[in-house]
Amino acid sequence: MFSYLVRRVAIMLPTLVLVSVVCFVVIQAAPGSFTDRYLEDPRMGPEAVARINAQLGLDRPLYEQYLRWVGGIVTRLDFGYSFFANRPVSTVIGERLFWTIVVAGVTMFFSWLVAVPLGIVTALRRNGFTDAVASFIGYVGLAVPDFLIALLLIALVLQAGGTQVGGLFSPRYIGAPWSWAKLLDFLNHMWIPILAIGTTGVASVMRQMRANLLDVLNADYVRTARSKGLTERRVINRHAVRTAINPLVSMLGLSLPELINGTIIASIVLNLPTIGPLLYDSLLAKDQYVAMSLLLLASLLLMVGNLLADVALAWVDPRIRYD
Amino acid sequence: MPRNRLTTLVTALVLAAWGTALAQPKVVDYPNLGMTPATVGGTLTFPLADSPPTFLYYAQIDNNTQTLTGVVFDSLVEFNLETYAIEPALAASWDVSADGTVYTFHLRQGVTWHDGTPFTAADVVFTYTQIITNPEARAGDAAQFMFTVDGEQRPVTFEAPDDATVVMTLPAPSAAFLLQQRFPIFPKHKLLPFTVEGGAQQADINNAWPTDTPLAEVVGTGPFMYDSYVAGQKVGLVRNPNYWKVDSAGTSLPYAERLDYLVVRGNEAQAAQFLAGNLAVLNISGAQFPDFKDREVAGADFRVVTSPALFGSPPHVAFNFDDPAFSEVFGDVAFRRAMERAVDRERVIDDVYNGLAEIPGTPTAPADGTFYEDTKPLMLPFDLAAAAAALDELGIKDTDGNGVRNVPSGRDLEFSLTYNADSSTFTDIATILQNDFGKIGVKANLVGVQGSALLSTGLAGDYQAIIIALGNQPDPELRKPIWQPGGSLYYWHRSTQPATPGGEPNFAAMADWEKRIYDIFDQGTTLVDRTARVALYKEWQRLNAENVPVIMIAKPANIAAVHENVGNFVYNLGVIPGYNPVPHYYVK
Repeated sequence: MFSYLVRRVAIMLPTLVLVSVVCFVVIQAAPGSFTDRYLEDPRMGPEAVARINAQLGLDRPLYEQYLRWVGGIVTRLDFGYSFFANRPVSTVIGERLFWTIVVAGVTMFFSWLVAVPLGIVTALRRNGFTDAVASFIGYVGLAVPDFLIALLLIALVLQAGGTQVGGLFSPRYIGAPWSWAKLLDFLNHMWIPILAIGTTGVASVMRQMRANLLDVLNADYVRTARSKGLTERRVINRHAVRTAINPLVSMLGLSLPELINGTIIASIVLNLPTIGPLLYDSLLAKDQYVAMSLLLLASLLLMVGNLLADVALAWVDPRIRYD
Repeated sequence: MPRNRLTTLVTALVLAAWGTALAQPKVVDYPNLGMTPATVGGTLTFPLADSPPTFLYYAQIDNNTQTLTGVVFDSLVEFNLETYAIEPALAASWDVSADGTVYTFHLRQGVTWHDGTPFTAADVVFTYTQIITNPEARAGDAAQFMFTVDGEQRPVTFEAPDDATVVMTLPAPSAAFLLQQRFPIFPKHKLLPFTVEGGAQQADINNAWPTDTPLAEVVGTGPFMYDSYVAGQKVGLVRNPNYWKVDSAGTSLPYAERLDYLVVRGNEAQAAQFLAGNLAVLNISGAQFPDFKDREVAGADFRVVTSPALFGSPPHVAFNFDDPAFSEVFGDVAFRRAMERAVDRERVIDDVYNGLAEIPGTPTAPADGTFYEDTKPLMLPFDLAAAAAALDELGIKDTDGNGVRNVPSGRDLEFSLTYNADSSTFTDIATILQNDFGKIGVKANLVGVQGSALLSTGLAGDYQAIIIALGNQPDPELRKPIWQPGGSLYYWHRSTQPATPGGEPNFAAMADWEKRIYDIFDQGTTLVDRTARVALYKEWQRLNAENVPVIMIAKPANIAAVHENVGNFVYNLGVIPGYNPVPHYYVK
């Protein structure tokens, strides 16, 4: 197992280097420059813009800009500087990390909480009425983009005279110390992102669970368990579901990068203080080190998630051994 | 509750007795704008389009930083909210020497920074010498204070003969100098370590006051003080009890006890937050107007307020004089005059702005009581038949029978029309123009670009025709780089620009009317006689109307939605230094 882990981590490094090169090239290839924002302002002459380019190192050759950035990461864990916020990228990303993890964690938790039982039920009642209804809702959820659901929910809330039309809190609770009232206000806001972002996840997890369970239900050992005279409940819970859930573990691992780029548009529509909108803004403004660091982070999370999933699989499924 | 009220009462009494007596007050009153004296209290919530990148105005050009700076800091002078005249702010009065080169500002007495430190002339000199004229400050304005006299670069100098006086000495007279002194003034005792005077490098000023700075460090003299900041969500401000403005009843401004700026991205999200009652006021566009007006008529608890706009950006369509394929045609006044007849201004005003726009000036805003010249009689109204006839007369006819006119060289008159695709307003305008041009055999192919890349596309000359909106200001001098031929933003005729930045413009490329406009702006900069200046700029507007360097399309009005519990509302763009009605708003 240990040597397997070492091998996997060793493969990640060159992949990350490749990803960083691709990120850099993609961002450089986009039209415009960070300093375009200065052009219309009457205060800014062309000389002033040239001076800012020099301050930011944008006048240096591209390979030099790239090497400096990578060098900073390798030697000092310094992800560069946000041109826009005049401070290190790590602090810019850091102040959004908490709510990003909370929002992603809570929505994922709820979508799994709904999806896994639904998947089991629809597999057991295969082609029945419940299956048809749940599958229909699942497919609609999968087909409708999350931001559209978000917009519809906002319109509904407005129609009903509600005030929670985006954000995580009512204005007066933002920055206030935690209290029961604040928690209640948070939950009152949070159900919209849970529904909007979670619905998409529900469908795929549910379908996956349903398919896995159907496979397992036809397996020999399930028939054996039944013929031993075990109760149907015990057969399903102890024998079938435990095996059927294994592939979902790898799905969980793969969804780690969604922390960053999974819900950009929904986060913008719902006005959530998460990393998604930051990535969007930095790409538009060509705040290159912020954008590149976020893209790099997303690919790192994907690889780490993959690795964790594989390790977890080995742990939950005795049939899998890596050595 | 009674205790709170008592505190407020005591505070008010103390203020009346001491506060206003300490700071030399400025009595402000705008009965013509519908303002009435009010009482102190309540919270107002405004939208902020995004988190501010920094708390230091001079470190980044950004609307959100500018909006917050407007309510936390003061400048030497400010606008009269009604007439746009320049009035005292931190400078209680000033003298100008007879030759117009020495400005002596007498500072308001008893003003303190939010941390209690006295505000003095040293702060003003520090802000000007160490920050504004620092060439490395990303949102500084060093060029404004460097004059070219007899071909030689000479700076404006700043001195503080005593704590209450600032003297600025100019190398040559400058007509708009006073108007330009709306720079927010920053505290020397907090920012000194980031400046050359404090031992740092010039560029270090940009690192001062990032948004993770403790808010007790970020002090101004303005009506509100920073209280809380939650990244990506909210900026909380509290009332400055020692502010120097008072209303006609003697109550010290501002009226609102708290000001919350809610970070809400995007027009739709802001509209939803406003309709849900989470925002007190919201600036809206003509396209949003019908929806809001319907709701108002249906009994919603807000009103929609419209007013003619001085600031704000009227769109125009420009043809690239230096286009490789069509320079002879696009550079011809007769062609542009013909195309002006194919621009349906009335339809844009009715359909795109829902009637909430007016025929623009060329380009001065009609709301500008001083400089606006009514050039409507010189502008050509929409008339496709006349446009077609004018093109025929120029020899631009469809010679090959493919439905598209041919220029004398034989080439089809088919060109790209670049516009800002992020904005539904500009997309609509572009479509209307394309459609009408098509009806007279002129083929325009729409090219949508990102809003942030529009101006750089224009400046790079990478277009054939383009729709751009550039802002109006209360003095043409402030827009000189746009409208003076050879200026850095005179993008439709780039061959007039100097070969090297800062050098002599290319006079050889200029038409006679462009040379005249060049001279007008040159004279306007230094001419102190106001009447003569106004006459010069009126001549410029007539020249623009007759020669259509660009075809002005419409001047949108200001539209805002205001909840019924907000009193004394005056439209506020938020980002104009020295124009700040927020201290007057009160909670009913």
